Amino acid sequence: MGRFIFRRLVRTFLAIWALASAVFLLSRHDLDTALRLALPDAASQTGTSPALLPQSQQAALQALRQRFGLDLPVFYVSYGPVSPAGAPAWRWNGRRNQYHQWLRDLARGNLGTSFRTGQGVAGRLRHALAFTLPLTGTAAVLAVLGALALAQRLATTPWWQRPLRVVLVAVHGLPLFVVALILLLVFANPDVLDWLPAYGFGQSSDLDLDAGQHLADILLHLILPVSALVLTAMPELTLQLTAAIQQELGSAYATTARAKGLSEAAVVRRHALRNALLPTLAQIAEFLPALVAGAVVVEVVFALPGMGRLLAEASAARDYPVLIGGVLLTGAVRLLALLLADLCYFWVDPRIRWQS
Amino acid sequence: MAVLTTFRPTWLQRLALAWLALLVLLAAAAPLLPLPYPPGVPDLAYMAEPPFSAARHWLGTDPQGRDVLSTLVFGARTAVLLTLPAALLAALVGGLAGAAAGFWGNTARVSLPYWLMGAGSVWWGLQLPSPVLGLGLILIGAILATISHFQSRTLPTWSFPINALVMGTATALDTVPRLIVVVALVASIGLSASGLLAVLVLTTWPQLARLVRAQMLRVRQLPFVEAARAAGLSEWQVWFRHALPHALHPLRTALPLSIAGLLGLESTLSFLGIGLPPEVASWGRLLATVRDEPSAWWVLLFPSLLLTMSILSLNALSRFSTPKA
Repeated sequence: MGRFIFRRLVRTFLAIWALASAVFLLSRHDLDTALRLALPDAASQTGTSPALLPQSQQAALQALRQRFGLDLPVFYVSYGPVSPAGAPAWRWNGRRNQYHQWLRDLARGNLGTSFRTGQGVAGRLRHALAFTLPLTGTAAVLAVLGALALAQRLATTPWWQRPLRVVLVAVHGLPLFVVALILLLVFANPDVLDWLPAYGFGQSSDLDLDAGQHLADILLHLILPVSALVLTAMPELTLQLTAAIQQELGSAYATTARAKGLSEAAVVRRHALRNALLPTLAQIAEFLPALVAGAVVVEVVFALPGMGRLLAEASAARDYPVLIGGVLLTGAVRLLALLLADLCYFWVDPRIRWQS
Repeated sequence: MAVLTTFRPTWLQRLALAWLALLVLLAAAAPLLPLPYPPGVPDLAYMAEPPFSAARHWLGTDPQGRDVLSTLVFGARTAVLLTLPAALLAALVGGLAGAAAGFWGNTARVSLPYWLMGAGSVWWGLQLPSPVLGLGLILIGAILATISHFQSRTLPTWSFPINALVMGTATALDTVPRLIVVVALVASIGLSASGLLAVLVLTTWPQLARLVRAQMLRVRQLPFVEAARAAGLSEWQVWFRHALPHALHPLRTALPLSIAGLLGLESTLSFLGIGLPPEVASWGRLLATVRDEPSAWWVLLFPSLLLTMSILSLNALSRFSTPKA
């Protein structure tokens, strides 16, 4: 068991490294645009070719290149003209290249500096995570609990099973941003239902709020984003779990439990559910990183200052260090989720424990 | 062929099929339709106009004054032209890669001439020192292959790890959620339809390849594959003519689902303002404008209705393949 987990983690780790390297190397072929976007007066300069830029702009670009170490060759080997007039050829650059320095910094825990703001990427990600983690964590816990509760009831096939199933399938088909927009425009709209605040998270106008009111304000702002995430995550989990429970209910031990005189609810809760959880655990491992991706959409819709919006803005502004940091972080969440799922298997299923 | 067995659709699936056919027709005929206004051209006299109110904006205008109806029609064109090719290409790549990985595993024996030809073309393609050497290698390989073909002599073979290669690439591409990968890749490629198409194919094929590979692992052990081998067919023919059609079976379910996923992904990306250039009409971009004018319900309702109906239709179609037991 331990060897299996280890091998899987190593494979996932290698995959994340390969993906991050690919994004890193791909991002280097069009650095001019990114750097021009990072210049202070980027807006006025879009659309002009580098040759037409004034001298001062060129100097600023060169300074930026030197500051971020972008004047070095990109990779260990490069292909291009050796001298300005010479024929293109392969060249060995040694260890003084951007990729090597990036990897070395990464090994030391340094994710680089953002092109746009000049702040450390790690710090920005930590700031953003401090917001996103509670949001997605709450949504994940609520979705799992909701799916557990709902699936147990659905498995006993009450009369409302059919309509609810149709609703779940329909909601499952909707993209997250549509759900979030509908929630936003129905519950936070002065023209329809003005129940909840839409925007303005963390900018309450009254300075004399005490801690309790402040907390209440934060919670009020989080209701809609969390429910959007839960609404999109829950249907799939519920449908899967219901199917698993119903399959277990057909097995011999469930019949035995019924023959003992247990109620149907008790059979589901104490017997079928435990076995049905096994296939669902793997799905939860898929689902934690997916919530990070979901945060991208939800945070953009509700204008929340989290990791998702950081990534979306970095993508629009071509702030590659932040983007690569985001990919690495999501990969780390995936590693964590895999580890967690494997440990859960170990804890839930005695057969796996006995084998090792 | 096993892929083309007949099915008897339910009325719901007929409805779904009709809706999707209508959508594709609309997309194909969009430039020919007599729309009162072109898409993407702001009509500054009518901004955020409700439907059926004035000036032939039948479905109203968005907060920038663009006609909703023509944006919807041309958005359908964008969606169809982007998701259909992406899904088909991904099915092609994923199907072939997954079937090869499942059939041969890590033990595909490739004989010496082909190794030589492969090494030669890599040498030539990368323009390593004196590229003529690569061409020479290819030539030697071709001569050896011809000789061994006519004299039926066996040459030394080495195994080529197809399975490790395909599954490794697939794992690298789908450990991190698709949206994050696409967002990161699109930023380095820039805003263009063809670049977006490439990224969509790149991130869609792994899941299809996994399905086909799993099916191929089952199919290759069936008696008819053994019979084909016993009949003296070459490995390649057994794979392509006999095993592959059966291994592609899961695609009947997976293809509509992956189109639905791509449709959602494309509209999410254009909603976020990533991927497609701003002048391309798309449902996601139309939906994004509702945040400027929260009372404009028609900007939210029509595109999300189209999107939802298309995705639900595709989901309904994916249930074609499940035989009624």
